[in-house]
Amino acid sequence: MKDKVVVVGGGIAGIQAALDLGDMGFEVHLVEKSPSIGGHMAQLDKTFPTNDCSLCILSPKMIMCADHENIKLHTYSEIDGVSGDFPHFKVKIREKARYIDISRCTGCGDCTVKCPVKVPSEYEEGLTNRKAIYLPFPQAVPRKVTIDAAHCRMITQKKCGVCKKVCQAGAIDYDQKDKVIDIDASALVIASGYDQMDVSLLPQFGFGIAKDVVTSLQFERILSASGPTGGHLVRPSDGTEPKTLAFIQCVGSRDAKCHVYCSSVCCMYATKESILAGEHAPNVKTSIFYMDMRAVGKNFQEFVQRAKKSYGVRYVQSRPAKLQPSKDGKGVLINYEKKGTGGDVAQEEFDMAVLCPALEPSKSASRLAESTGLKVDPDGFFATPDLKHPVDSTSKGIVVCGFASTPMDIPDAVTQASSAAARVAEMISGGGC
Amino acid sequence: MSEFNPTILAFCCNWCSYAGADLAGVSRLQMPPNVHVIRVMCSAAVKPEYAFKALSEGIDGVLVLGCHIGDCHYLTGNHRTKKRFPVAQRILRDVGIDERRLRLDWVSAAEGEKFQQVITEFVSDIKKIGPNPLKEVKL
Amino acid sequence: MLMPRIGVFICHCGHNIASAVDVEKVAEFAKTLPDVVVAAHNMYSCSEEGLGAIRRSIEENKLDRVVVAACTPRTHEPLFRRNCERAGVNKYLFEFVNIREHVSWIHAKEPLAATEKAKMLVAMGVAKAALLQPQEETESGVIPVAVVIGGGIAGLSAASALVSQGIETHLIEKEPQLGGILKDIAVIGPEMVKTKEIIDGMVKEIGSSPKAHVHLSSRMTELTGFVGNFEITVTAADKCAEKIKAGTVIVATGGQEWSPQGEFGYGKMPGVITQLELERRLAKGEFPDSAVFIQCVGARVPGREYCSRFCCNASIKNAIRIMEARPEAQVSILHRDIMSYGTTAERAYHDAAEKGVRFMRYGLESLPKVDKLGDNLHVDVYDETLDDTIGMSTDVVVLAAPMVPIDNVKDLAMMLKVPVDKLGFFLEAHVKLRPVEFATEGIFICGTARWPSSVSECISQGLGAAAKASIPIRRGKVKIEPITAYSDPEKCIACGNCVQACPYQAIEIVTSKEGKRYAQVTEAKCKGCGNCVAACHNDAMQQKGFNTTQLSAMIDALIKNALEVVQ
Repeated sequence: MKDKVVVVGGGIAGIQAALDLGDMGFEVHLVEKSPSIGGHMAQLDKTFPTNDCSLCILSPKMIMCADHENIKLHTYSEIDGVSGDFPHFKVKIREKARYIDISRCTGCGDCTVKCPVKVPSEYEEGLTNRKAIYLPFPQAVPRKVTIDAAHCRMITQKKCGVCKKVCQAGAIDYDQKDKVIDIDASALVIASGYDQMDVSLLPQFGFGIAKDVVTSLQFERILSASGPTGGHLVRPSDGTEPKTLAFIQCVGSRDAKCHVYCSSVCCMYATKESILAGEHAPNVKTSIFYMDMRAVGKNFQEFVQRAKKSYGVRYVQSRPAKLQPSKDGKGVLINYEKKGTGGDVAQEEFDMAVLCPALEPSKSASRLAESTGLKVDPDGFFATPDLKHPVDSTSKGIVVCGFASTPMDIPDAVTQASSAAARVAEMISGGGC
Repeated sequence: MSEFNPTILAFCCNWCSYAGADLAGVSRLQMPPNVHVIRVMCSAAVKPEYAFKALSEGIDGVLVLGCHIGDCHYLTGNHRTKKRFPVAQRILRDVGIDERRLRLDWVSAAEGEKFQQVITEFVSDIKKIGPNPLKEVKL
Repeated sequence: MLMPRIGVFICHCGHNIASAVDVEKVAEFAKTLPDVVVAAHNMYSCSEEGLGAIRRSIEENKLDRVVVAACTPRTHEPLFRRNCERAGVNKYLFEFVNIREHVSWIHAKEPLAATEKAKMLVAMGVAKAALLQPQEETESGVIPVAVVIGGGIAGLSAASALVSQGIETHLIEKEPQLGGILKDIAVIGPEMVKTKEIIDGMVKEIGSSPKAHVHLSSRMTELTGFVGNFEITVTAADKCAEKIKAGTVIVATGGQEWSPQGEFGYGKMPGVITQLELERRLAKGEFPDSAVFIQCVGARVPGREYCSRFCCNASIKNAIRIMEARPEAQVSILHRDIMSYGTTAERAYHDAAEKGVRFMRYGLESLPKVDKLGDNLHVDVYDETLDDTIGMSTDVVVLAAPMVPIDNVKDLAMMLKVPVDKLGFFLEAHVKLRPVEFATEGIFICGTARWPSSVSECISQGLGAAAKASIPIRRGKVKIEPITAYSDPEKCIACGNCVQACPYQAIEIVTSKEGKRYAQVTEAKCKGCGNCVAACHNDAMQQKGFNTTQLSAMIDALIKNALEVVQ
């Protein structure tokens, strides 16, 4: 009888923890709230500092998870409650109704073509639409569609029903209900990741006001060959290629009025996105407005130098105070203080601006904290107070890894995921292997 | 005389170009039906002899697709493929086979569109070059 | 030799394939191919129904090879392989032909051409299937012992995690005591935790566990073998060499502080000290009344461009300690960016500023100047934010120098047969997704030997490496997928091309009993890339599942069938 471990969160940290635990011989239940595993890494075009294609390196791990004899995927699922103590946790997993019989769905996609309802796509960060019945992205694992009940005409108004008519596999089931599963787990791994803060809460940065101000995740989708613009660098207002581009660091981070902490990865990803912008549009002139250029990892400083020397990226050490639309509602005007001038303010116009928002603990984190009784730190991240055991949460038998515990990049999240697996094994196995 | 429909062979590496070809399919990117894929683990496992055999026995074109330099799953494989390629082309030239019938390119697992582009271009190029004259010899 | 009996199953995949490809015609065509005994078509081959139909057909038609023409092998190949096994057919006598992603979905408007192409691909798949050999995944045993090289915080963390799992672990440390660089550091930042609290517990755990063997004043002097079966020679200062057999190895050999000789008067002016020298003073309770920290000394400069990651946080930590011991102290940190990334470190930065620590930004073009002034030191710095030069007198000038690799890292790397990057830090298998592993299976890396890391990060990495290192040991065996290379000693001329081509050093030239030299593949090291096969000009090197006869047969099948159609 294998010991069971529940991993909450199917992003890169959750996936790695699940794979390591599965390889170590545990029965793993990987719970992910979206219809597919992959997390935010699946939305990225490329990853720093090598500019590896994100999905190319993520996809095989996703498939390994799905195929692993010891891993059971619970996608479109949430944790309803956790009771008990180590090593006898009772975990309630709610598998939300997809209204699809996943044993029949082959992921062919015929239903998505015919569905009449359009909904802003979460994966594309609202830049295009998906249907009420949808596959979040082509490489989704599992490759099964999901009906978004809130927007489906059949589920809400008993109208339409086109998807059922066209599905040749007979996989549509409008009467499906949520299913709650009880798991007796010896341990839990929290890998709930992050979400970008809602930058419309900081109107001085112009998001939602100036059309050509986008968030960095939106920019990733614009850069992606499989994204809404087919990988063409174009600005939202008129679909033209920007000649000037600005990145604004620390939007909501390192901000006494918002989040005091540093989101860690934005200096690097802004550098990456500026390099990619230069590859897509060789004549673009990019400026990065920053506070401290935190390029602390392997080959990171060289990456920044490359951006400066090979792509002419201009690094401006200054914190813009205001972004607003330029003439005709196109473009962006940026007000900032010039360093070392004792207060001179400049205003520059750019065709497009990218905001690097504070990265907050995932929206599901507070609910998870309630279900599990775990304490969070003043910034909302799951507290890991014992330095001797950096992945231990405040409850014995529950470990935390990745961004859920503190901002970190992909290699650090992968390392922590493996650490989480080691810790679980240590706690459960005790003496004897 | 009917229009020339080339028969083309493509070697795709498991980790990048084969996956890129899959993505092109998943994305329903349409392309000419002349290219037949053989899956290999690494582009560097493609012996030049396969290309010589195919081209000397009537195949109109051979494509070798690997990971971008720096991305090879086996660390250094595609560097080898890159170095080998001009030599293979020269050998073709020396024996009188149009070296443009052999093409090397890099397609990552996320580049469905690039795969479509390479296939479409290569088929068009081969159509311009014309049928492999060695086809007649065999028949 | 019995003729192969091949069954071909063409999938409709609903109408995903069938809309463009005339599946029935392809099945009819398949029947005409050599060695094909039966050809059928299924609506959904991957469904329980479809899989069952294939198993029944295997039984009824006494098939010994199966070809499925459907979607991409990258998703369902394992599923169909297992299905063959269930029906008594060796799972490697199975070939998958992609006629969905590679045919129906990309030639949707050309059904005639799509059907022809599907036929060609099936012919190629059948030709290969006829020549497939049954394979077994070979297994190699794993010695249930782990070796950790380096007894600093990363190594201690790894060793402690391993023994807690009950795994016998040898910890090799070159100094007479454990702890590494942390021996000199009393407080760990940015968490402000006493080092003793962290290290003592780990050392005690290791010391008291019957599973742990600590070798002090010892070094690794040789390593041979491969995953599951390493032999490590450990030489102690005063003893003979000892041989340890192990399944996995973790490298935690750490780094060292760069010595900033000649920088800012170091070595000439007493009072100009390094961060570690300050740590030693603070550990003894010697708190200065004033201190000027200079960051990025010998780092982020031409010739050494990298950022050493933890120096800003170390200076902030020490600045806070000084302010707490001497609230009236004058402390300044001269920097070129403050790298207090994350939550705890950023809060510590704020804390330091609130306590009165001054932060001044300088540029590479105008470095601070340090001079002697009586018994004290005087520092002048052009502050970029203030656009003004500030002068200050101070007791000590602390140079935050980067962490660099240890002196003998290249020797170590050669012994382990693992790569280092151009800076001398060990190179992990994949910078993003495999940060604590080497490409060479069974050897793992953690701590500052890989890259400057904070204490918290070193502990995480040690744990991570322990997790990875425990997997083969827990499993007891290592599986080798049968796509490995093998050579024919008769054809081999020992030219060595394959040895060079192999990215994993899995091939060596050996001499047979009869004195013939030939290339031999160590299967456990082979990753099945096939590079050696292409490098071999004598057809001596082959790859299981992708051998030259099989691939040539596929080419022949295309030529035969495609050119026939052209006629």
